[in-house]
Amino acid sequence: MRATQCLRSGIEFLAERFPIEKMNVRSMVQTKTVPVHRMSWAYYMGGLALFFFLIQLTTGLLLLFYYEPTVSDAHASVERITEHISGGALIRNLHTWSASAMILTVQLHMLTTFAMKAFVKPRELTWISGVLLLILTFTFGFTGYLLPWHQIAVNATKVGLQSIEEVGAYLPGAMSEWPGLIKELIQGEPSVGQATLSRFYALHVVLLPLAFFAVLGLHLLSVQLHGMSQGVDRPARRTERFFPFFILKDAWLWGLVFLVLFVLALCLPFEAFFSYPLFEAYDPMGSTPDGIKPEWYFYFIYYPLELLPFWVVMLAQTAAMVVLFAAPWIFKNSSRRTLGILAVAAALYLVVMTLFGQQIYEMFKGGA
Amino acid sequence: MRYLCLILLGLLAAGEAWGYQEFQIWVDQQTTRNVNCALCHAHGDGPDGVKPGQIGSLDAEGLRSLEAARQAFEPGAEVESPILNAFGNKIIERLGRTGFINLRTRPEAFPEAYGLETDLDSDGIPDAQEYLDGTLATNPHHGAPLRLLLHNLRVNLGTLLLIGLATLLGLFGINNLLAWFALATADQQPSDAEHDEATHSEGGGSSNSDGTTEAK
Repeated sequence: MRATQCLRSGIEFLAERFPIEKMNVRSMVQTKTVPVHRMSWAYYMGGLALFFFLIQLTTGLLLLFYYEPTVSDAHASVERITEHISGGALIRNLHTWSASAMILTVQLHMLTTFAMKAFVKPRELTWISGVLLLILTFTFGFTGYLLPWHQIAVNATKVGLQSIEEVGAYLPGAMSEWPGLIKELIQGEPSVGQATLSRFYALHVVLLPLAFFAVLGLHLLSVQLHGMSQGVDRPARRTERFFPFFILKDAWLWGLVFLVLFVLALCLPFEAFFSYPLFEAYDPMGSTPDGIKPEWYFYFIYYPLELLPFWVVMLAQTAAMVVLFAAPWIFKNSSRRTLGILAVAAALYLVVMTLFGQQIYEMFKGGA
Repeated sequence: MRYLCLILLGLLAAGEAWGYQEFQIWVDQQTTRNVNCALCHAHGDGPDGVKPGQIGSLDAEGLRSLEAARQAFEPGAEVESPILNAFGNKIIERLGRTGFINLRTRPEAFPEAYGLETDLDSDGIPDAQEYLDGTLATNPHHGAPLRLLLHNLRVNLGTLLLIGLATLLGLFGINNLLAWFALATADQQPSDAEHDEATHSEGGGSSNSDGTTEAK
């Protein structure tokens, strides 16, 4: 009896989130409207993240033509792409710049969505699929970072994987073995090597894109079914048609962003911001250069890990993940003002840790 | 005495093998970047060792080239030392080994002695400036970001204008395509009144030419 009731509530829950009567072009495109208010710019963030994903997909496919996923050839193949393949440097830079831009946009999209309380009923699954997409985006970043097989890539991956194993020390009994097993499963061998590269490559170019497509499909379907959320406390006085007006503005924004991305990719190699020894081929027998760090978008967790006890950071991270996934229920009755303050606080934390993490680290630890 | 001589010889040989680290140390201190022996050498760990670009890996011809480079005490000799990169060889060519060794106690004077004329990687940043910035003088993709950006903007201006034009034209095309599509499907869409009713159940509204609808 209880099981039937649960099943019925589950079906009702899904039917409300995915109403079949709305699954038509008229409802999802032709009659869809977008509220116009002071936060309207935030409605473009999701589209922008999608645009960067499409750039990643296209440039990634082109890089696949020449990239060789073996520890002996990976670095040389990336150098070949950059220095000898026509347009190779441009494609690679587009891929690198776009990866960072995608992560930045996805984070901004999540924060604005949170501040606008766009996760409440019936958009809970839109939010949860969005959080999954955020995690997948970070995983793309983590797995893609290793592929060039240079010093910073391999050493930063080692540090990242090591932190998984360290979780075991805080788990009871047989569970303490699990993180080590997970690390070994990801790594594929006792140290980061060919098996790790093969696994990261498979994850980066096959498994993650497939998972991303699946979750993205669910996310977009949900967005189109329920339309844009109200976003502000007072219902907007004006609305605009999604098709063609909102899509047109989206297209112009994509065009503008593409131009900026193109200028950056053509004129400013991402590597120029780093010390060159970090981009030399990884040599397990050679010296490890100074300044090994993860990519900038992991600083928000990297610097706390360097400064605070491991268990504190892990506890905070787990709590943050639980709050993220359960936000539609935890913040159901919160005002947009409260959510806005929380979102600004989170954004400030991310900005401060990303831009000033090193200075904060030096302040507390006394020198690099 | 014999042992002392051997130790001194050993130290001299080691100094030779390790390169001249005074320059690397100075650059490390002056910039926010970390540098290694690849600033001038073929291998990042320096000339000592058996990896490619290190002394232990050289064949007979490589050793001859190395010896020839070591004899280039005066400026002007074209050298091709296999343990140096293009920048390292250029330094020997421009300053000679004597001139370069004399700068060991004054690494800050190197840029002036070397001059701002050469730019081995053609990235628009003179080699001496790259030395001051702690960037690689032999890699066109590595340089001080702002200098690199400004140079590449100048060099690629034509390409950028073309891309800008192509993007604008593409957007113009999409604009018209979507507008046409919207018109073609207009008869299937609800009238403005119906649309307003659907979106503002409390009160209807009026449509503007920019596609927005105002609620009353």
